[in-house]
Amino acid sequence: MSLQTNSMTQSPLVCLRELNKEYGKFTAVDHINLDIKKGEFLTFLGSSGSGKSTTLSMIAGFETPTSGEILLNDASLIHIPSHKRGIGMVFQHYSLFPHMTVRDNIGFPLDIRKVAKDERDQKVDEILKLVQLEAFADRRPSMLSGGQKQRVAIARALVYEPEILLMDEPLGALDKKLREELQDELRLLHKRLGITIVYVTHDQDEAMRLSERIAIFKEGEIVGLGTGKDLYRKPPNAFVASFLGNSNFLKVSVTGSASAMLNKQHIEVENVHEVPIDQKAVLMIRPENLHILTPEQAEKEPLMAGFNQLSGTVNESVFLGESLTCSITIPSGEKVVSKNIATEQPDLAPGSTVFIRWNSKLSSLYSKWEQSDINKNAA
Amino acid sequence: MLLSHGSLGWKLKSSLYVITGVIAAFLALPIFFIMALSFGSSQWLVFPPPSWTLKWYERFFDNPQWIESAWTSLQVASLTSIIATLLAIPASFALVRGKFRGRDYLYTFFTLPMVVPVVIIAVAVYGTFLNLGLTGTLFAFVTSHVIIALPFAIISIINSLRLFDKSIEDAAVICGAHRIQAILKVTFPVIKPGVISAALFSFLVSWDEVVISVMMASPNLQTLPVKMWSTLRQDLTPVIAVASTLLILLSLFIMIIASFVRKQSNHR
Repeated sequence: MSLQTNSMTQSPLVCLRELNKEYGKFTAVDHINLDIKKGEFLTFLGSSGSGKSTTLSMIAGFETPTSGEILLNDASLIHIPSHKRGIGMVFQHYSLFPHMTVRDNIGFPLDIRKVAKDERDQKVDEILKLVQLEAFADRRPSMLSGGQKQRVAIARALVYEPEILLMDEPLGALDKKLREELQDELRLLHKRLGITIVYVTHDQDEAMRLSERIAIFKEGEIVGLGTGKDLYRKPPNAFVASFLGNSNFLKVSVTGSASAMLNKQHIEVENVHEVPIDQKAVLMIRPENLHILTPEQAEKEPLMAGFNQLSGTVNESVFLGESLTCSITIPSGEKVVSKNIATEQPDLAPGSTVFIRWNSKLSSLYSKWEQSDINKNAA
Repeated sequence: MLLSHGSLGWKLKSSLYVITGVIAAFLALPIFFIMALSFGSSQWLVFPPPSWTLKWYERFFDNPQWIESAWTSLQVASLTSIIATLLAIPASFALVRGKFRGRDYLYTFFTLPMVVPVVIIAVAVYGTFLNLGLTGTLFAFVTSHVIIALPFAIISIINSLRLFDKSIEDAAVICGAHRIQAILKVTFPVIKPGVISAALFSFLVSWDEVVISVMMASPNLQTLPVKMWSTLRQDLTPVIAVASTLLILLSLFIMIIASFVRKQSNHR
């Protein structure tokens, strides 16, 4: 994957080149290439063992790459030990120094750098204010709540003004409500300080909420890179489509540059990945892009250009408050799930016949897929 | 909990108290007897003592041999404690952090002196030091005591090092501290209770050690337990009870410090 060909206005802050990490026969990170832009919020998203944390550890210097290169401002980091890289990092379990007060925790990087006492105290006070912990400055970490501990960890990582802040699942140990609060705080902090943040998480909502760009990791490779919006709307492959959000996968065979056959019925497709003719493929449609119509509605509303229509039988519809999901069996025997704003939906009794429509521009076609991708069907 | 204290009937509860009391008495009574006898006037350790006296304490402190052996014990135990702890620190780091083949075997090897009968170790070091002509020296005492104290020191430090989240040390490193600096400023203060109890337990192991010490001892250099042992073989005198009492008091004192250190670390 050549990701560095994009014309960039400035050279990237960090470049990973053919970065590789092997543990014996196991390849944790498989020759990845990635440019991290100055000032961006980039998230490594993937399940456990996908190589995201190992990549972060290599940037921090806790793991040595088997081969490849890490550049920071065009200079190699490979032979520079962690403590000289000038990188900030926030760990999964806060990792505060239990025997020091909040103030001394935050002052630690400055003490190590032998910053004069006046300047040190001033900087610590400033950052305490930034993370709203002035009142807790003289407490030990054990006297703080999880959210406060994480704020201390962030303050400690920011006090020496690193060029880049690495965050390794920093909110994983917190409950959902607090996590969302801190996500909002973190996004605001990033906007205010303009610092480059590389964030690791397995939580796609968190990735969407926080990041400007997301790198999706799978088995040591980056299989998707882009804004959350682009990755969700136009997933580059079936894995990303199934990993981010819910999706329906239908088996089709390609018949032309913009057409395919779905169970003896011609449909229109957007063939952006240029799947060759007669090739078997899967068609991905997000549940919210499937519109359900009763036979009467279908008769009244003509099919718009670029839209496809299939008939189907309702299995079940579930009312979820703001939305309504509906599971439908189509003539091929495959099941699809739709999800629509509840007020727009007609009542659908199980067993009733309906028509489903979708805009072909909002579907994606893939010639390669793994069974595990399409098994994670929305149904 | 299945057996919560409150849910037990009064009969069961009171019988549990009685059983606990009996066991505690079984463990503690000999100590009380010996302490009481050290203040008793009877030459033949009659119990209950016909009257109370401090004359056996006078005898103990007037006899340079007793004082000297107590001093030797203190020296040997202190040196053993320091050396065993200093050796246990790097060994523990290697056993917890190291990634090398046979690490688990090495751990078993280091803790072996705890399992092997002391008399076997005693004969082995005795033979060695006899060959080297070193028996009866402070060096021989300390070296042989370090062998049996080391497992206790290693286990104590390893436990606290395993509980220590290494990412705290990594955090110090990414903050700009050299690895050694991070260990000294962050890891050490956190595992300090483990290191202190390693030192205290090593001290105790050496302090009441008798099997090895008997073999290492010479007429000029013997520890308190050895002096007691050899005195007992000649005659039974209440001065032995005095020595025992002093031995127990120091051990008790160290146990109290150890539990205090543990409490401090739990407060974190």
